[in-house]
Amino acid sequence: MLEQQIANSLVLGSIYALCALGFTLLFGVAKIINFAYGELLMFGAFFTLTAMNFMKVGFFLALPFAMLILAAFSVLIYLVTIRPVLRGTPLQSLLVTTGVLYVLHELAIIIWGTEPRQMDMGIEGAIEFGAVIVTYPRLIAIGTMLLLVLILYWMLYKLRIGKALRAVAQNRAGAEAIGLNVNRVICFAFAVSGAMACAAGALIGALYATEPSMGGAPLLKSFVIVILGGLGNVFGAIVGGLLIGIAETLTGSYISYAFKDVFTFLIMIFALILRPNGLLGGRNQ
Amino acid sequence: MKSISLILPAIFLGLLAPTLSEYQIYLLSLTLLWSILALGMGLILGYAGEVNFGQAGFVAISAYVSTLLRTKLGFSFWEAAPIALATTVGCAAIVGSITMRLRGPFFVLVMLAFGEIVRLILSNWQSMTNGPLGLRQIAPPEPIFGMNFQSKLSFFYLILAVLTLVIIAMIRLVNSRMGRVFVAAREDELLAEFLGVPLMKSKVIALSTGAFVGALGGLLLAPFLTVLSPSQFSMFAAVDMVVMVIVGGAGTIVGPIMGAIFLVYVPELLSFSHEIRPILMGTLLILATMFIPSGLAGFFTPYIDRFISRWKTKKASL
Repeated sequence: MLEQQIANSLVLGSIYALCALGFTLLFGVAKIINFAYGELLMFGAFFTLTAMNFMKVGFFLALPFAMLILAAFSVLIYLVTIRPVLRGTPLQSLLVTTGVLYVLHELAIIIWGTEPRQMDMGIEGAIEFGAVIVTYPRLIAIGTMLLLVLILYWMLYKLRIGKALRAVAQNRAGAEAIGLNVNRVICFAFAVSGAMACAAGALIGALYATEPSMGGAPLLKSFVIVILGGLGNVFGAIVGGLLIGIAETLTGSYISYAFKDVFTFLIMIFALILRPNGLLGGRNQ
Repeated sequence: MKSISLILPAIFLGLLAPTLSEYQIYLLSLTLLWSILALGMGLILGYAGEVNFGQAGFVAISAYVSTLLRTKLGFSFWEAAPIALATTVGCAAIVGSITMRLRGPFFVLVMLAFGEIVRLILSNWQSMTNGPLGLRQIAPPEPIFGMNFQSKLSFFYLILAVLTLVIIAMIRLVNSRMGRVFVAAREDELLAEFLGVPLMKSKVIALSTGAFVGALGGLLLAPFLTVLSPSQFSMFAAVDMVVMVIVGGAGTIVGPIMGAIFLVYVPELLSFSHEIRPILMGTLLILATMFIPSGLAGFFTPYIDRFISRWKTKKASL
């Protein structure tokens, strides 16, 4: 029983970590809290579904295609709405992304309707480790998370653009002073964050349901995770995601299923009281 | 002088109301109720410079506590009101003393989480709150001092009276020493603290005062809508208040009221469909933030000033 719960929590935790990755990356580089991130995730799921229906291909062929489109979409949103207020106060970018959240949410309802849809991964069956049963789609969710984390690390630490991302994250003015095109780097961060959101959204859509209201929970969970792991901390997002996955599954099955989200939020608030910069955040961030 | 110029519209509305149709009175009541809610948010957003996405949680606490006291324990509206207000302000003080230590984005996120906690408790504590179905058939306030609140018109007068009192109290507050302390903390935390401003205390007071005004709105909201359900108090409700403050003009008293009129009265009057309304809200929030950061109030002030000065010179030349 407990082993099964831990396996379930690892799956949930991987999905949460995947949701938080793009969100935390964007905050790290551009210092923007993207309230529209959950809606991007939802658009990612719908784009994947549309690509599957339109091109008559399977989930795994449609996903990279949808990731590209959502990356472009994310950059477009940045250029139209966020870039004009980038040099303003943090409050302004927060308000603008909240506005984008509203618009995207309603657009999705108008385009696709409120009816939840099924998205078929095309893979069935389950694997058994002793008493623990994990279905293949759930295993794939863990695998995708690991793969994307590896790619993200490779990009951040091996590629030139990764160096630029880290430079802008550390000191935007300094990066500008040594001749980096900060605007282009932030554009790239939006593209990567959009692609990540698409992957997370498509997996959630395939494992649970694809519907316009699916963006709310991942957004809130991403907040909690990045607060636990430290805002802008990629490794912290993975640890935070897994922690929340475990906490939620265990409180859900042993204390109260209805109140599991309340426990998650309480954990976050207590963590913040103890360490105001996040569990893994430095003392003076 | 300034308070007189704000009381005059209230008297005008009061005299106008009996001549209006029931639908118009409903619409006006809704606008005034949202004005109260927007003023509560405006205090925190405009004067303390923080976005409180948990404001809907405070409104919900007040609305639910007052209604539950009435239905479960048989309190009258007037007995339940002070208890509900005190509960809300108490919650705000506790939450504030925890969250106000957090800087920048953390405050926004924790208040959002607070709002969600309230909403989740309301929708899952079935035996008390009736869950997502909510509380229904909430009676109008009991008669007091010979006044009866059965009719829509009399309830409108009650809302109008509360709004007028809130406006007068807020004008006094923002012009008081405490109001200037809020602004000092908003403009430069470090400098304010250096000058001996009790930063934490003033921020907690700002949050609690904003919650108090929101709670007043919540008290009236329950009997006005006659139904309460957790979905009314999602983050979107708080964002609606934020939009009103930003579109109307943050850091002013007129701003949130103008925002409420512009976003409640005008869309209903032009009978926008309910699908379009959130898109309208979102687009307005983006455009107002980008192009008119001082909101409608700030946008029109120069024109009004020019008009007044022109009028004055004309009068002088006569």
